[in-house]
Amino acid sequence: MKVIEISNLHKTYSESELEVRAVDGITLDFEEGEFAAIVGPSGSGKTTLLNMIGGLDVPTSGEVLVGGSLMSELKDSELTDFRLNNIGFVFQAYNLIPVLTVKENTEFVMRLQGKKDEECEKRSNELLKAVGLEERINARPVKLSGGQQQRVAVARALAAKPKFVLADEPTANLDSKSTETLLEIMERLNREENITFIFSTHDARVVKKARRIITLEDGKIINDVRKNGGE
Amino acid sequence: MIASIAWKNVWRNKSRSLVVVFAITLGTIAGVFVAGMMNGWVAQRIDSVIYTELGHLKIQNPDYLINEESQYSLPDIDSILAFCETTPGLENYTTRSKIVSMATTAGGSTGVVLKGIIPEQEKRVSDVYLKILPNGGDYFETKSKLPPVVISGKTAEQLRIKNFKITQQVLDSLTRQEVPNELLEKLKPLIDTRFDTEKKFKPAVQKVWHPNEIRKHGPALMRTASYLKTRSKITFSFTKQDGQIGYQTFQVCGVYKTTNTMFDQMNAFVKQEDLAYATGMDMNQFHEISIVLPENTKDANLLKNRLAQKFGHLNVMTWKELAPDAGMMADFMDVYYYMIMGIIFFALAFGIINTMLMSILERIKELGMLMAIGMKKKKVFQMIMYETVFLTLTGSLIGMALGGLLIAITGTTGLNFSSVAEGFEAVGWAAIVYPSIETSFFIGVTFLVIIIGILASIIPAKKALKLKPVEALRIE
Repeated sequence: MKVIEISNLHKTYSESELEVRAVDGITLDFEEGEFAAIVGPSGSGKTTLLNMIGGLDVPTSGEVLVGGSLMSELKDSELTDFRLNNIGFVFQAYNLIPVLTVKENTEFVMRLQGKKDEECEKRSNELLKAVGLEERINARPVKLSGGQQQRVAVARALAAKPKFVLADEPTANLDSKSTETLLEIMERLNREENITFIFSTHDARVVKKARRIITLEDGKIINDVRKNGGE
Repeated sequence: MIASIAWKNVWRNKSRSLVVVFAITLGTIAGVFVAGMMNGWVAQRIDSVIYTELGHLKIQNPDYLINEESQYSLPDIDSILAFCETTPGLENYTTRSKIVSMATTAGGSTGVVLKGIIPEQEKRVSDVYLKILPNGGDYFETKSKLPPVVISGKTAEQLRIKNFKITQQVLDSLTRQEVPNELLEKLKPLIDTRFDTEKKFKPAVQKVWHPNEIRKHGPALMRTASYLKTRSKITFSFTKQDGQIGYQTFQVCGVYKTTNTMFDQMNAFVKQEDLAYATGMDMNQFHEISIVLPENTKDANLLKNRLAQKFGHLNVMTWKELAPDAGMMADFMDVYYYMIMGIIFFALAFGIINTMLMSILERIKELGMLMAIGMKKKKVFQMIMYETVFLTLTGSLIGMALGGLLIAITGTTGLNFSSVAEGFEAVGWAAIVYPSIETSFFIGVTFLVIIIGILASIIPAKKALKLKPVEALRIE
């Protein structure tokens, strides 16, 4: 079942007299439960495409239909609500809330949704166990390694049981071991919870794990390959 | 959850927040203490107006207000007194006869209003009997051949019945007041010399003490070395009931001092029967009835209206009408205290806004992330508002606690403004202030702080709300 449909998407930035076509006529769709990587060199439009799928950025033209909602028709506050209830984000720089503990960071999105304490607690315990951080629930992000912080970010992204997880260069700041662990966790959660994962990356290790690889260059898709079972 | 994050955010940059908290604390202490001091002053002034000078209500003949002649006394006095006796709230009354007179002694003369009172009745309404100076005699207790009069210390000075003499007891008392021994040694040549006036005493002291020593210890010396010549005779002249000029010599039985020099200068008290005898007035000829209401009946207007209804031909006035300055203070001081606090917090608000703006600028990326993962702008606004309110509230709560403590301490010990007392007392203000403040003031200030906090959060919050998540996330 198609859960994301993108048709003829354009995003143009005007910098002084120079016009930059970050995304140039992309048409693309994703099936439910995909584990896909968008790859390409820097400036190829990966992050811009991901931001438009996540409703963080507005296309110059074209349409993005996510989970049946046409993103361009949603107002600012509706988009925020949509992201809260449907999308989990994982950022390159982890972006955890420094004043909160690992557990509080994980529960944050659920708390925004107004979920009850027991439900938040149960889910965060379950996820922190899944990402191997059950021993560090009361630690502040500053006390964790980069890999551990990104695992917390993944737990946070998955806490509210989103339909999609958009991860922008999630392994860019991680060493090989941390990357390996993180990818295994995400792959397992993708299988177990049938959540659609889309990465923007130029990390070969991510590409190796992904079951679909979309290659961009100058804002255009130059290759879209599906593998059987990844690897 | 938002409140909890906001509280943690306040302490993200501890030193910066502590500087702001410290500034707010100092500002609050200053505001609370100034308000407490003003309130103590006003409370003392109002207390003095009601319980020393005027009472809550005063009944007079309207003609007496236009022309203060003894013939304009209260008509039908028996029915007024009967009404007061039987009406709850009006039982504490006193009757007074008044006559304008000139007091004369061998040393000087001054104009005073002689008030004919019934001492025991007067004590129910006015506490002048508690204000008799040390060594200033008593309040109509000692029997004398001549009719007794109670005058003020100020009148005693004007009539030169106040002398100065340095005795061994005076030196002992000064030692207790921590005047250095070497200065006391210098005073020894003056021992047992009597000075009739302050004018004669001061130059004698100036010969033995250095100006700096006089500045520091002079007030204590003047206070301790002065003594009142009670039992002095004063002749009062006045217009008698028949229009002739009359004279009567009274003997000083007591000397009082209130916190209001004007009141002191104007009023001398004699027994009503003595005044009636001297002026030819009837024994039940009174010019005013002063009433003090019981503790639980503070609404003077209500009883004023009842009296006015019953005795329409008389003039009934409340203390607020009789002393409009004190009345205005009673009504508007609360507003004034809040204005002081408002001005202080308004100034502090700029510092708070600045700190919050810095705090926002430092975490633009984080705010972008919060909005990206689904935190609505309303909640972002709420979080910043809480942060500002918490920051302001922390400083002001500490400030209120310390300010309250300062008021509690100085409220017991009193603040002595004796060095400028003459100026204060000339306009009716006490020289020793006992700061005090109502608990409701602290509650009011807390609300004020919350409002200021909310207002101060608007600019930083607007700055945060203008952020676009996608742009904020790009910031390194």
